[in-house]
Amino acid sequence: MTDPRIRASMRYPNDLTVPGMWHARLVRSPYAAARVVGIDTSLVPQDVVVLTPSEVEPLGGYGCQISDQHVLAGVARHVGDPVVAVAAADEATAREAAGLVEVGYEELSAVFDERDALRAGAPLVHDTHAVSDGDAAYFGLRPLEGTNVCHRFRIRTAGLPQGEPYTADPEPDDHADGFEAAQVIVDETFRMPAAQHVAMEPHACVAGWRDGRLEVTTGTQTPFNLRQDLARLFGLPDTDVRVVCPPMGGSFGAKTFVRTEAIAAAVARRLDRPVRLALDREEEFVTLTRHAATVRVRLGATRDGRFVAKRVWCWVNTGAYADCGPGVAMKMGYAGVGPYRFDHVAVDSFCVYTNLPPAGAFRGYGAAQSVWASERVTDLMAAELGIDPVELRRRNLLVDGDRFCTGETMHDVHFQELLDDAARAVDWRPGGDNRGKGVAVMLKGMQTPSRAEVDLRRVGDGRFEVLSGTAEMGQGAAQAIARLAADLLGVDADQVEVPPPDTDRVPYDTRTTSSRSTHMMGRALEAAVEDLKNGGGDYGHGRVVNEGGLDVDTGQGIASSHWHQGAAAAAVEVDDETGLLTLRSVHAASYAGRVVDRAAAELQQEGSMTMAIGTTLFEELTFDQGHVVGPNLSDYNIPSALDCAAVSQTLLEVEGAEVHGLGETALPPVPPAIGNALATLGYRPTELPLTPERVLGCAEDAS
Amino acid sequence: MNLLLQVNGAPVQVDVEPGVMLLEVLRDRLGLLGARGACGVGLCGTCTVLLDGEPISSCILLAPLAQSHTITTIEGVPDDDPVVRAFDRHHAFQCGYCIPGMVLTARSLLAECARARRSPSREQIAESLGGNLCRCGCYVKIIDAVQEVGS
Repeated sequence: MTDPRIRASMRYPNDLTVPGMWHARLVRSPYAAARVVGIDTSLVPQDVVVLTPSEVEPLGGYGCQISDQHVLAGVARHVGDPVVAVAAADEATAREAAGLVEVGYEELSAVFDERDALRAGAPLVHDTHAVSDGDAAYFGLRPLEGTNVCHRFRIRTAGLPQGEPYTADPEPDDHADGFEAAQVIVDETFRMPAAQHVAMEPHACVAGWRDGRLEVTTGTQTPFNLRQDLARLFGLPDTDVRVVCPPMGGSFGAKTFVRTEAIAAAVARRLDRPVRLALDREEEFVTLTRHAATVRVRLGATRDGRFVAKRVWCWVNTGAYADCGPGVAMKMGYAGVGPYRFDHVAVDSFCVYTNLPPAGAFRGYGAAQSVWASERVTDLMAAELGIDPVELRRRNLLVDGDRFCTGETMHDVHFQELLDDAARAVDWRPGGDNRGKGVAVMLKGMQTPSRAEVDLRRVGDGRFEVLSGTAEMGQGAAQAIARLAADLLGVDADQVEVPPPDTDRVPYDTRTTSSRSTHMMGRALEAAVEDLKNGGGDYGHGRVVNEGGLDVDTGQGIASSHWHQGAAAAAVEVDDETGLLTLRSVHAASYAGRVVDRAAAELQQEGSMTMAIGTTLFEELTFDQGHVVGPNLSDYNIPSALDCAAVSQTLLEVEGAEVHGLGETALPPVPPAIGNALATLGYRPTELPLTPERVLGCAEDAS
Repeated sequence: MNLLLQVNGAPVQVDVEPGVMLLEVLRDRLGLLGARGACGVGLCGTCTVLLDGEPISSCILLAPLAQSHTITTIEGVPDDDPVVRAFDRHHAFQCGYCIPGMVLTARSLLAECARARRSPSREQIAESLGGNLCRCGCYVKIIDAVQEVGS
């Protein structure tokens, strides 16, 4: 039997219909910052239901890390903020009615750039910052009241001054930052713009109420976080919310936490019937984005190429709502240090509100932004010292037993092998002429702390059912889980069923993010199989908890219970007349530990590289006074079949090693590998994407 | 207005508003969910169907204009179709949302190549599939699958 995806016999959230359901559409703010002062519905037909901000205000706020969002915005904080919801028996009527609602606004002042938002006198996007008490607010959140900073994260390695007062724009102090032994210092500021996930399937959900319980079917990577956030919003116990998650048509971080579900649930409650809310492509662009970020990196080394100290600043543009931006800022902070040894490391990362659409989880989760900066600086240092970039990295890369800047001891690390593999793929000549070639290496954490649980049931005929909260979004999790379970049980994979997550049936799982699921669910399955075998053979439960976490004031602790490790290399050509950059080769080498499903692993790698090529060469969300410029796939291009000819990969396996997730590892190192290759041809790229205009603009001889 | 359409080899009658797009008719009236709306402007290829064997974007084709043409959706492609089998064998999909459109576009290319008695190169396949976007980025394996059938 062929896979059900090929001939469309699998149903996605967007395909879902429920008898008697109505259709909701949203009226969105045309202003980046504005107070709603009047809503005129006199033109709306009588058989259309209208929900306004004042009706949902008693529900209060929500937000996975900062409680800063309302179901409908009485004060709009970005262009596209949902202000009014309408619902009708058919979608066409709802669509038409949404256009007939007249909303009166009082425009407020707005701020868009993450650095501008920190200046004295900048408009405050939110007056106060209420820390969420949900499971996703798992670390100490440090909002700075009276500013646009909703979280700041700091690393200070032992020996550096601790607890100095906060400033949003700290200047380097080479004495305090531990640079005194540095003979050469490189300091540069980089920027990566906002981007759109562009999952081919837009967000779609159906919400309904049954006997006082809320039931939501939606595409989400975070069924249990969504359940908790909705339960708190509607004043219910968690168990009175049911979240069902069919396989998604892609997500890449877009379908996480509360997106459209709260509005659909509120409309459904008002109507007392199920409501479908599905977004158009244009709406996707104002629903969630990748964080634009400015990252400054200061690196000090001895003349013979030993890294002494590193100082990293990240200004992370989270838009109008924090979402999981505080977590992204934290991970951007430590990923920007890179997998190297230093005497001293100091990092300041600020998650900053602006009046842009909210930014949240996006494949690469903060690492993409800071690895771009950090690995470009590694090459700038190599050029300054006159040392081969591969050799400079090799001298400083972490090896087993070294301590990362968080104080944790590294184990099972393979950065050198990965770097060597990537370098070989572009025929790197040690100490020779490597013009047009570049390399990069990175580490990325896995969600820590986290918990995975799984139930395993015999369902007759030698068949088993695995009940797991891991969501399927195309990464092949369901198949990987079936395969792991089958191996452990000693049956064929087709004897194991893995139904989509339904929070009424499956045990708790933190979420399907940070490339953690194959690893964590795999370990939970081992425990479940053991339990099943010990207990009669019909039922087993497995539970795995990874402890850890970082002190957000010092950055010390356990950032990740194991590490995603990757390297990339690129070979490029550039037309000096037009600035057109052509990729001759892009290679990623990732540490897989043990491969569970080779085809799926290769697809995750190729997919990450392809997305990274878009990020590097052309993907950029631009704004004009807070309006997305060209919120469509004509203006916002994503890679096509014509963009992947140069891609190749290595999956590094080690006998007996644990399973490592591969969902993101091959993305962050690709942009700096390409940027470093371009830099050898007389350019100094700091800003992505490397469009022809930007390439010409960063030519070293440009005046 | 009353439309008579030829869908997957069978005549179907539907009563629709004249301004309706073919995609809506296929999904909402005929329950054929393999063509999917994703960009709304005929650029991403997930709504691809074949009109007299040629791939078109059903999200921007007014349904009345599809009369007197044969319409093939993925539901009209048999399970043992060589392209379907090759996509399965090469694991040329991740989330699968774009794959029906890919398969239909590839079938059109391969039919054209068969008529001309030639095998498509990787570049020709990529060119032909350039209007079918896959955000999961399965292009390498998709091209592998199409090339195998075409050789």
